[in-house]
Amino acid sequence: MSNRVYTVDALIKRGYRTKSTVGLLNGCVAALFLVFALMLPLLAFYGLVPIETVNMAGRYLAFGIVAMGLDLIWGYTGILSLCQSLFFALGGYAMGMYLAHHGNLFGPNGIPEALYVVYPYAIGESKGMEVLPWFWMPFKSFNLTLLLGMLIPGLLAGVIGFFGFISRVRGVYFAILTQALTVAAWMFFSQNNMKFCGTNGLTHFKTIAGHSLREDPVKLALYGATLASLVGVYVLCSLLVRSRFGRVLVAIRDSEVTLRFTGYQPFAYKTAIFALSGAIAGLAGLLYTPQASIVTPSYMEARWSILMVVWVAVGGRGSLGGAVLGALLVNLLYNTLTSQHTVLGVTWKPDYWQFVVGLLFVFVVLVLPGGLVSLWKKYTERIAVET
Amino acid sequence: MCIRQISRCVAAASVFFMLAATASLGDPLAELLRGLAQEDGEARAATLQSLVATGDERLETILEDYRRGSLYSWNDQIVFGIDLIEDDDLNEFVRIGDVFSHEPLLDAAIPLEDILVLEPNGAERRRVTRAKTLLGLSARQKIRRRAAVRKIGTQTNRTAALEKLQHLAETDGDRIVRFAAAESSAMIKFRSQDETVQREAAEALGRLRSVRARSLLEEAVRREDVTAPLRDSIETALARIRGRERLIATYDIVKSGISSGSVLVLMALGLAIIFGMMGVINMAHGEMMMIGSYATYATQLLFKHTPEHPVNSYYIFALPLAFCASALVAGLIEYLVVRRLYKRPLESLLATYGIGLIMIQTIRSIFGDNRPSNSPSWLQGALEFLPGLTLPYNRLFILMLCFACVLGVSALFRYTSLGLKMRATLQNRDMAAAMGINTRMVDSVTFMTGGGLAGVAGYALTTIGGITPDMGQNYIVDSFLVVVTGGVGNIAGVVCSGFGLGLLNKVLEGTLFGAVWAKIIMLLIVIAFIQYKPSGLFAPKGRLADE
Repeated sequence: MSNRVYTVDALIKRGYRTKSTVGLLNGCVAALFLVFALMLPLLAFYGLVPIETVNMAGRYLAFGIVAMGLDLIWGYTGILSLCQSLFFALGGYAMGMYLAHHGNLFGPNGIPEALYVVYPYAIGESKGMEVLPWFWMPFKSFNLTLLLGMLIPGLLAGVIGFFGFISRVRGVYFAILTQALTVAAWMFFSQNNMKFCGTNGLTHFKTIAGHSLREDPVKLALYGATLASLVGVYVLCSLLVRSRFGRVLVAIRDSEVTLRFTGYQPFAYKTAIFALSGAIAGLAGLLYTPQASIVTPSYMEARWSILMVVWVAVGGRGSLGGAVLGALLVNLLYNTLTSQHTVLGVTWKPDYWQFVVGLLFVFVVLVLPGGLVSLWKKYTERIAVET
Repeated sequence: MCIRQISRCVAAASVFFMLAATASLGDPLAELLRGLAQEDGEARAATLQSLVATGDERLETILEDYRRGSLYSWNDQIVFGIDLIEDDDLNEFVRIGDVFSHEPLLDAAIPLEDILVLEPNGAERRRVTRAKTLLGLSARQKIRRRAAVRKIGTQTNRTAALEKLQHLAETDGDRIVRFAAAESSAMIKFRSQDETVQREAAEALGRLRSVRARSLLEEAVRREDVTAPLRDSIETALARIRGRERLIATYDIVKSGISSGSVLVLMALGLAIIFGMMGVINMAHGEMMMIGSYATYATQLLFKHTPEHPVNSYYIFALPLAFCASALVAGLIEYLVVRRLYKRPLESLLATYGIGLIMIQTIRSIFGDNRPSNSPSWLQGALEFLPGLTLPYNRLFILMLCFACVLGVSALFRYTSLGLKMRATLQNRDMAAAMGINTRMVDSVTFMTGGGLAGVAGYALTTIGGITPDMGQNYIVDSFLVVVTGGVGNIAGVVCSGFGLGLLNKVLEGTLFGAVWAKIIMLLIVIAFIQYKPSGLFAPKGRLADE
């Protein structure tokens, strides 16, 4: 632009697009995604697509929800949290306990099958004396489960955030602490005597809210609920990041010290956004479990929490749509590459996925730090210049 | 010519027969052994007694063979049955071997009906076991002697062995045998009916703080027919023994804490240097450790070291190899990826984690899972300060290796020109570069040193557990906690926090909580600690603290 000053009109004449035009383009993409997402259950309804595909898409959409929560905390606020998978699993366990309550019941006291199978006997107890642990009780009710499934991870995130942020634990230190917490939680849930069914996890699900999980309409409804939640969370988050609150978050990312000197308390904002992202991850867990029909402590393993970060990194951090895109793409890639293929006489083995995902980590960090969305942003700019 | 050849043949044959004959016939023990083939049970028992009376070392295996029913009587001599062969018609044959050496006596197998199996009955087998224990008392190897002396204390009706035990307790060359003999003789005396003997024995056991005798004493004190003075002396002895047990438990906690701390320090040392100098979080550090373990394993394969045929020198060569292998891999990673990520810790965390995944899968496709590692035989066994207070040699080795590494790194930092450059870069990169230090080169060397140290940790770990491609993942989070607690780029801090956290973990684990709760509580303590000291144990002061 050298040193000359242009008016906005002159810029538009010269081929630049205003913000609203770019917004329109982005809106078109979102609409295209929605149309496609709505077509999928319709196609399944007429038998053109197997119901398993819809189920899989539903699970991946749930991952998209986690990714948005993570993007809020990492992409916008600049805090790398490695315990999103823990919050996700907590939501998953809440729903899992609800579903276990409404499956087969065993024993004279009527405890869920999943718990009955691995019930750890305390000293003096014998078979037949199993009682339902107190923390299983609230999850008999569907509404309470939905509430607790978001409240518990949200509160936990709030507590972790409060203690972490108030003493200004930053950057890598926070990442390591959250990672360690996730590992501790994984150990906790893997133990049999914690009465969370140990490494077996919660299984033997039958019905949800009175409907059999095996029926196709129920599966379609679960997909629909996930899609609706995704859209809802997206709208909520985009309103949030456009608000004054959202601007403070970006300011924390860009220069926390400056923000503090201008009289803000970054720790309160950080705690709030971390709690929100925890609750969002919990919601995703709630939606994921009935579609996966199992929840195990393996979701709390270290690799999951880092993998979730990579979804966001691949899609593009600092962009909610990018986070969803990343989660969907990486998981679709996972789905394709972890089955055996033979193309042109070369056999692809599922083991090679580890190489792919490892290279993906390196690639996205070194070559594409802005994620796929940065490519799209460049592209929209180029259109604007060429017209 | 011809005659000479024939005569030579004859001579050879006769020598062969003589050898075969002397192997079992000329030996007085073999003569005695023949008694085992007698019909009369009491005669067999007498044979057994006279066998034990010889005190012959070779009897140990023979008696074990006899107990298992692997001895046969054939041609009026006792032979060893190597194996049973079955032909197509289900006829059974025995291949027989020399009773002492187990060398085959004949090429062909003998039909089972032509040979007499020596099958001791239950009572006889018990008697043989007891006889074996008695024999073990005079075994030449001290390991066997220790086992026998300990075992004899648990057996009933052993008053006959008391004299031998007393002799051992006073004159044996091995400290542990002397102690165990005193213990066992007191235990045997305690089982007698005479109350004064019992009281004396109980007092002796209390003086010895014999942990082995605890259940025996507890059982006795629960009986109702115990008189008051005897009960008193048993109670005193038990109190002393329990005190010793508490000491052992405390010692064990400290020992395992220090030994897990030394592994943590070895791991965290490299991490702390890398993070402090370059601001790079190396999540592949655990995998570099794994490379060190596999390098050690590969050296072991190269030297053909197995538990049966130990080639212990492999372990000396494996140390530099493990260091170099890990350092080389680290150098490669630094060159390809990490040098583009300086001062971007969050991104480096992701990228190095990805590298770690690739390394795990690569090693898994080359070597496969779960390789067995055999430590050299001089690292097996343990140092015993007091009965029950042991320090395994492998733990001691790791501790010493850890100290050597800490000293080596400190010396590198303090006394070499490279270390000077490293410290300069660590303190102020731009100024160091302005003074003509090639900071990029310093970074590479630092990263390689850190990776090499991880390799040494992996090398040390092969003496503790198996080798798996994802073994590093178990250590990485803990090592980072050590770095965070100790303060970044600070060797003294890493050493303190490494041993501190290792001890803390084991103390929590050993006293009140299980392993999982201990881990969670330790984590909470670390978080609380960071609240209190956000920059670690030894925070930099002055201008350095600004960064």
